Amino acid sequence: MTVTGSLAAPIRTRASIFARVRTMAGIGVQMMFHDYLKLAGTLFGVVFAVLLGNFQMGTFLALLGKNRMFVENAQVDIWVTPPGTRQFQGGKPLSDAQLNRARATPGVAWAEPLVLQTANLVLPNGGSEPVSLVGARAPRFAGGPWNLLKGDTTSLLTPNAIIVEDAEREKFGGLNLGSVRELAGHKVQVVGFTWGLLPFAPAYAFAEQTLAREILKVPADKHTFIMVGVEPGVDPTVVRASLQEALTDTRVMTRGEYMKEILTYIVTGTQIGLSFGTSTFMGLLVGLITVALSMFSSVIDNMRQFGTLKAIGSTTFDLALLLFTQAIVYALVGSLIGLGAVSGMVQGMRNPQLTPVLYPEMFGITVALMVVVCLLASLLALFRLYRLEPAMVFR
Amino acid sequence: MSAPALAADGKQLAIDIKGLTKTYGTGALAFQALKGIDMEVTQGEFMMLVGPSGSGKTTLLSILGCVLSPTEGEAWLFGEALHGRKESALPRLRLEYIGFIFQGHNLMGALTAEQNIAVPLELRGYGHTAAIKEAREILTAVGLKDKFAKRPDELSGGQRQRVAVARAIAGRPPLILADEPTASLDAESGMQVTQLLKDLCSQRGHTVVCVTHDNRIFHLADRTVYIEDGLIVPAPSH
Repeated sequence: MTVTGSLAAPIRTRASIFARVRTMAGIGVQMMFHDYLKLAGTLFGVVFAVLLGNFQMGTFLALLGKNRMFVENAQVDIWVTPPGTRQFQGGKPLSDAQLNRARATPGVAWAEPLVLQTANLVLPNGGSEPVSLVGARAPRFAGGPWNLLKGDTTSLLTPNAIIVEDAEREKFGGLNLGSVRELAGHKVQVVGFTWGLLPFAPAYAFAEQTLAREILKVPADKHTFIMVGVEPGVDPTVVRASLQEALTDTRVMTRGEYMKEILTYIVTGTQIGLSFGTSTFMGLLVGLITVALSMFSSVIDNMRQFGTLKAIGSTTFDLALLLFTQAIVYALVGSLIGLGAVSGMVQGMRNPQLTPVLYPEMFGITVALMVVVCLLASLLALFRLYRLEPAMVFR
Repeated sequence: MSAPALAADGKQLAIDIKGLTKTYGTGALAFQALKGIDMEVTQGEFMMLVGPSGSGKTTLLSILGCVLSPTEGEAWLFGEALHGRKESALPRLRLEYIGFIFQGHNLMGALTAEQNIAVPLELRGYGHTAAIKEAREILTAVGLKDKFAKRPDELSGGQRQRVAVARAIAGRPPLILADEPTASLDAESGMQVTQLLKDLCSQRGHTVVCVTHDNRIFHLADRTVYIEDGLIVPAPSH
């Protein structure tokens, strides 16, 4: 360029990419906070998506937890289950012969039978309520009670002792330690309480296995499951393979495989996965559409200003930086508010029946997902800006 | 790029246009807005472009502003050819050569006066602090020393247009294009803003092309060019 006069040392070179990011990000953020109503509307969309998505996912995880809690909490490496087992539910009883073969399998440190069946607890008013009675064998008490509020596992060694779920005390007629009830025709005495052991089936109650067999009328050589612990340092998957080979008429799974199988069953074998997946997706979709429309409307409202930015030398890339900054800020602020709100809600409704589960990982995933959603949402506005002719500033 | 051509009086040309045409649309709907314009503007000149609505002056201004490409002909800006340029090369030309003043001030409502001026400076590679410093100096020069942190909606129409003038001259672009800068102002404010533009550009050496209808400011121009029906025409005799 050749310019005479006092303009001989005028304009510098085009700004570096970092400087342009800084400039455009600054403009983008100021534009967002200048229009409070639009900001509130857009954040509402993001917060709604975060709230609905996390609440639905948390509830799904809580339901999944109800189904998997026994497998998850029992200190068992390998489960021998009836053939065709896909969830924590008994089927064709397993035999003593199978138990003995399991014990004789290389790598097995111990194998214990577990008895699980529903029994009716007679209430003081004459009614009855079902419980899922678990018979765990002393002295190991594998598959025994956990999350104990009152009492301990060894108290099950006292005659006719059972441990029941604390959340069901009122339902079972105002149970206290020492309360006596009739369970499937047997007098039993409450010696402890668990917290939160409420599967989809009736609440778990625990008894020593001999008593449980008497109550449930299950012969000593028939078992609902066989639980296996492997020797230290031995890979459970190797032992599982050996067990499956030895116990052909069963389904043998490691703890992890069993939990995964239950998840697969819930997602693919029931409507739960579809239902929660759909509502989570709808939440994300609402967020996407709200942010997209809001950003698009903001671009339309400020078309002349964007045209001016283009006219004075901004490129479409510069304007993309502006929009992407806005999208990321919407995602971060909206996620923060939404996650705070959903955490508060979950804390407020905390109870042993069903409390949505929020894993720490979900917070990071939510933020990342919302950033992606908001960036996608900004593409509609960016497309409009791409097509914006800077010549419009003279019209 | 080549050195700018020289005018008949030996001065270097800021703008050199030869046989410029612009046609919108095609076929039966085609409309020729510019019909072969020749025009020269020397560096440092304050030129007014005058004509009735639809005469083609905004089209000409858009081509000079590198926001519209001509259909035929040649246009040179300080020795750089505008014709035959790829669209992607135009933002750089606008950034390097041109400051704009629009009919409506077109300031960014979310930004303060100094930030509005700092934006083009930062796009031109100024650091933020340097850009704000220069913005404040220019705002002081246009008489808005106490309005650095005011947003456009906190300023009067005349003050907004002064900020727009400040934004246009910030970074010392050699060419200022003004599109009806007094259109939204009352007579007194319009006169003040144009006088300010004239004085500042004269001091700093900017070349100015100002499109206007406002005959009250014609006398401030070094030269007035009339355009009618897509052609440069002689000054009306009345």
